[in-house]
Amino acid sequence: MVKISVLQHAPDAHLPVRPGDPTPTSRNLNPLMHPFARARERTRALNAAKMDRMFAKPFIDSLEGHIDAVEVIARQPDSLTTIASGSWEGGIILHNLSTRQQLVKLPHAHKGKVSGLCFAAEDRFLSCGVDRNIKLWGFDGSEPLNIFPGKTAFNSIDHHLNEPLFATASNTVQIWDETKSAPISNLTFPTSTETITAVRFNLSESSVLASIGSDRTFTLYDIRTGKAERRVVMQMRSNSLAWSPTFPTTVLLASEDHNLYTFDIRHLDTPSHIYKAHVAAVMSCDWSPTGLEFVSGGWDRTVKIWKEGQGHSPEVYHTKRMQRVTSTVFSGDARFVLSGSDDGNVRIWKAKASDKLGIITARERAAMEYRDSLKERWRVDSEVSRVARTRHLPKSVHSTSKLKQTMLEAQRVKEERRRKHTRAGESKPKPERKKVVIAEQT
Amino acid sequence: MESLIAKADAISPLFKKRKTSHSSSQKKKVSDYTAQSISKSTSTPKSLRHPLPLSSASEKNVHTYKHIPNKKLRGELTRQSANSVRAKALLEDAEEMLAMEEKGGMEVEGEMERTWRVGQRDIVQAVGQEAGRGRREVKLEGGPYRVRYTRNGRHLAIAGRTGHVSTFDWQTGTVHAELQLQETCRDITFLHDQTYFAVAQKKYVYIYDHDGVELHCLKSHVEPTRLEFLPYHWLLASVGNAGYLKYQDTSTGTLLSSHRTKLGSCTTMTQNVHNAVIHLGHQNGCITLWTPNLPHPAVQILAHLGPVTSVSVDPSEGGRYMASAGRDGSVKVWDCRNWKGAVREWATRGTGGTEVEWSARGFLGVASGGSVNVYHPPTIHTPHLHHSSPPLYLTHPLPSTSSRPITSIRFTPFQDALTFGHSSGLSSILVPGSGEPNFDSSEADPFESKKARREHEVRALLDKIQPDMIALDPEFVGRLAPESKLTTRAEMLREKNSGEGQGGKGKKEGEVPFARMSRMERLRVAGNMDLSEVVGSDDEGAGGDEGGDGRRKESKEEREKRKMRGKGKSLKRYLRKQRKNVVDPAALAIRAKLEKQKEEKKRARLAAAAATAGGVGEKKSALDRFKRST
Repeated sequence: MVKISVLQHAPDAHLPVRPGDPTPTSRNLNPLMHPFARARERTRALNAAKMDRMFAKPFIDSLEGHIDAVEVIARQPDSLTTIASGSWEGGIILHNLSTRQQLVKLPHAHKGKVSGLCFAAEDRFLSCGVDRNIKLWGFDGSEPLNIFPGKTAFNSIDHHLNEPLFATASNTVQIWDETKSAPISNLTFPTSTETITAVRFNLSESSVLASIGSDRTFTLYDIRTGKAERRVVMQMRSNSLAWSPTFPTTVLLASEDHNLYTFDIRHLDTPSHIYKAHVAAVMSCDWSPTGLEFVSGGWDRTVKIWKEGQGHSPEVYHTKRMQRVTSTVFSGDARFVLSGSDDGNVRIWKAKASDKLGIITARERAAMEYRDSLKERWRVDSEVSRVARTRHLPKSVHSTSKLKQTMLEAQRVKEERRRKHTRAGESKPKPERKKVVIAEQT
Repeated sequence: MESLIAKADAISPLFKKRKTSHSSSQKKKVSDYTAQSISKSTSTPKSLRHPLPLSSASEKNVHTYKHIPNKKLRGELTRQSANSVRAKALLEDAEEMLAMEEKGGMEVEGEMERTWRVGQRDIVQAVGQEAGRGRREVKLEGGPYRVRYTRNGRHLAIAGRTGHVSTFDWQTGTVHAELQLQETCRDITFLHDQTYFAVAQKKYVYIYDHDGVELHCLKSHVEPTRLEFLPYHWLLASVGNAGYLKYQDTSTGTLLSSHRTKLGSCTTMTQNVHNAVIHLGHQNGCITLWTPNLPHPAVQILAHLGPVTSVSVDPSEGGRYMASAGRDGSVKVWDCRNWKGAVREWATRGTGGTEVEWSARGFLGVASGGSVNVYHPPTIHTPHLHHSSPPLYLTHPLPSTSSRPITSIRFTPFQDALTFGHSSGLSSILVPGSGEPNFDSSEADPFESKKARREHEVRALLDKIQPDMIALDPEFVGRLAPESKLTTRAEMLREKNSGEGQGGKGKKEGEVPFARMSRMERLRVAGNMDLSEVVGSDDEGAGGDEGGDGRRKESKEEREKRKMRGKGKSLKRYLRKQRKNVVDPAALAIRAKLEKQKEEKKRARLAAAAATAGGVGEKKSALDRFKRST
């Protein structure tokens, strides 16, 4: 006899039990059942990259209130929402990020520009200005709690991590006690005569202090010994500095030569990384609280978000009305970025351009993760990478970057030719990282 | 450092925690209702969950990249290979677990029994009423019929020669559309699903919707004879009496390309579902393979003596085999990777057009004359010397001679059935074992609901593959590009420079910048290289005359060992330890001294040889040895 059996699909295994139930799905993972699996996955990756660009709407809101250019923004260290901004007309505004309201508005906090802002403990903040005063403010009331008169105009101020001390930068670096009206110590490098433009305490080793000056220097101090420990003279001056929140020895400098540099303070002879994308001087920088990213704002009217260790192709934000960016700050949850610019606005941006705000369901998140892994997997595909890489830039930035590229190329070619026509071996090319530091002094 | 840790209030030692544990142990774990209620929609995505641990057996297959010095890269590559091994293991498990359905089949018990002796009536009796519903006879007037299934095997479209067109649900028998077009219809095909179908009519291709409403008239497809739809590329391909193969994109509506075959009227077309290549059979016996990107056939073979009547590609082996039938009465099976001759060929009995078709599990149906024969897989494409047909699996005669010829034969996807159209209607027979038992809902689902169909349509549109990705090898996507055979200018210059460097001229540098030069070149340019020394000179001195090739093949140890032989070891070791690319007066002096010694030795050896030649000389003959010495 012949044994005969015929394939039969039991309908009850493939149809919903009751109306309204989800239809059961069945899977067959045999690759022959899935023709063009790889080509379809590539299409999906390309779509994911395109969707990422489509959803890239980073601008959230702008916080108004200043009449003149915003000079400085500070974030309260233990708060996710409170930030302070000071401007050239001498006003200070305390913003709440989540409600976007002004907590405190001090229209005439200083005469002339507010050059520095920092938060102290117990809901107080300090401001300094070119009117040679430091003022201590509370979150309520329009009168300062305390005024510390100085002898010269101040450029920057930073508060100690846990003690009631703060440091100011003018033509010297001074350490103040909140309870005393005169500086308790003066820590300037012996031969320094120029202006100090910014001063910052280390975020882990709180007695270490760093400053940058208009004499193209970067100086390290220790407030326990009360003197400058080490100084580096660079090719160009720095405009801003920020200590890494996770690597205590890493410091980030925003330089006038369009680049950002990270230094390991144990090896100050070369920067550990160079970050190149701005086409004008970088005016400000700030680390994300995670220490994996940082934000920079430039004279070229753009805000850029960099990944630590990746010195090129950062995320670029710009708008038509945003002028020179003078100050940038990461929010405390690392999801947002704030920029203050010459047009008097403080702008809120997403740190990740295509991030979705609001509640995300598990299914949605799974889809996002799938898209991310697709992009990661196909990132070397030329088309996917082109979509992921391409950014629209303002015409001025685009043309300037092209011009800059041409100039750098011309320089390189000239150097090459010069080397070719000198005696063999007389001049060797110098690595880019070795060019930055001129001298290291102790 | 300690102060930093202390300040951070980091993890305190374990023993301290244990002491305080009794207080926390009293707090029993109370199930948190809020957490439970939201856990369904906020559970951790699969990607974040801890993957299964590697089993010891699969761990062996993980490739370790020990030769890569970069730690980060090495770690990344090892992780990737571990992941792929784990995924493979999981896939194997899943394939076993997911294969729920039993495949059909016929098995003989006695040695003398044959499966082809079993008729349809016996099969229907054996399998019962429910499964026997696959056996049907439909009598229709309207000429020989062409039939076509949707990809999920649920719906059937038929087109009669004289203009009777109909689509219906083959399982339930519900008719979707029924048209009397009053003109010649040569072929019919569904588009991406049952909601649209295209008909090759007398003059043009027309597209109808689910209800039979005419939506489009594709006037660029003139006098079409055969239609094919490429579902993953959303392309409708047609070939006509004029011999033009045309591709129309059904998602955008544009005519993608039209290829002139230059081989006259064409009535045979099929697609390879695994690489979306169109196979055409021509009147002169040629079979040509086409992609929309090439203006000429990718492959052209002379398959038959006389017109080709039918071509089909095996979907079960990844499109490896192709069967063709010609009016010369032969059926040939070809290997698509190697076109040198057919793998197997045999003659069919009937005259007229023979139709061939592969099923999803590799069964080959051949309809010729008055019967349909089915052959089973491994023997169809095992090479065979004689032109005899492979063992028959099943045969079915047509009900009457008036229903000849059979014009179309299709296996039902995911069913053990075969449907063929002939002059007097349709017949469907049971072929146990021919259908793929396990379907995948994401590809084709016979039980899909209306909502699932809509979702599938949108997904398929999103995943539409661009037509320029069609190639004979579909796996080229995501591969590394083959290395270019052209040399760039920079490479040429570099090669030239290195050649000069070995020659020792070292004058012209070309245009390779300093930064891109190799170390030796840089040293040479900087003037730090010792040009006086010929590389490997002391080797030659010790080793005698050996071919340059032979020396290169020796291992490092052998070379070292050979170096140690000979006299003046210490001097040579000293020289070896000196850096060869630095001009050192001491080393130069020693090298000169060695050279001198070598010369002297050589001279001495020559002198000795001359002395022996002059003094003793060679023996003149064999008897000379018996000479008395003086």
